[in-house]
Amino acid sequence: MFDLLPAQLPWWVVGPGLGLLVAGLFLVNNQPLGASGAYVQTSGLIRRRPDTAVWRVWYFAGMFLGGLVVTQVLRDNAGGDVRSGYDALTGTFSMPVVVIIIFVGATLLGYGAAVAGGCTSGHGLCGISQRSPASLTMTATFVTTAVVVSLTMRAVFGGAL
Amino acid sequence: MATVTDRPTTARSLNITGLVAGSLFGGLLAGGLLHEYDTIHNTLVLEDLYVFFVMGSAIAIAAPLLWFLERRRTNTLMTGLLTLSRSKPERHHVVGGVLFGVGWALAGTCPAPALVMLSSGAWLALVAIAGIFLGLYIREVQTRVPLSPGDREQHNRPVVADFGK
Repeated sequence: MFDLLPAQLPWWVVGPGLGLLVAGLFLVNNQPLGASGAYVQTSGLIRRRPDTAVWRVWYFAGMFLGGLVVTQVLRDNAGGDVRSGYDALTGTFSMPVVVIIIFVGATLLGYGAAVAGGCTSGHGLCGISQRSPASLTMTATFVTTAVVVSLTMRAVFGGAL
Repeated sequence: MATVTDRPTTARSLNITGLVAGSLFGGLLAGGLLHEYDTIHNTLVLEDLYVFFVMGSAIAIAAPLLWFLERRRTNTLMTGLLTLSRSKPERHHVVGGVLFGVGWALAGTCPAPALVMLSSGAWLALVAIAGIFLGLYIREVQTRVPLSPGDREQHNRPVVADFGK
């Protein structure tokens, strides 16, 4: 709507901002900023589980809301900056294939986060910031795996990848 | 020490905390275009290390702050003394890490950015979000461990233990 933000904020704004947010949430209620945990609680609320931590559902809604404010209000999308979210992928494969890749990948994300006990935010940001060896191990493992898989995909399929 | 859900007012301020923290988190991810496949993919093929710089600088700010706050025995606003949790690496961290890594490379997103992708208007985010819910659910059924509330008391149970994280 308004053109208040550049297309992409520099990493030295986003990263330290996230760092302050992580420390800030610990200062308020001693909790890590975990996104997969928010999914688990939201799923629990939908299925009316009695042990749901409702504040994490508000956190889930907040992530969507914050994204909405930045992408739809603060950033000007009129100039053709709206993207599919998957430009390189849709430029390489047909849509049904893209949907399958995303769905399989996302299911692995959910399952892997459940097995490991956290995701990029919980282990990657908050866990390492707490100096937890388990989080460092999990993060080093998923980053290395993802680099290997991505380079392999580029080598095999080429295209826009 | 007040527990997190013992009074309605505490529950309300906790919910507001969640909404505010989530909004700031989602807003920052959107600001960095971290909800775009291209941003993640370009980092994972080591072409533009933006995502690694974001993660590294976030940790470089948060880690010393948390160390300092724990060391000087700071009280949190809502839940008593600030305490950090550390756990030893176990097999499930590596197994989960490999699966998560394959998912990250394929889907080009992870749980938080997928929600921001949806708010950016990209409908494919629905596919990603559905997959994440499904993956978490499959594991829940498989282990038959009740959902962790993600709160402190539950933090050291196996498998779903670090879930608050």
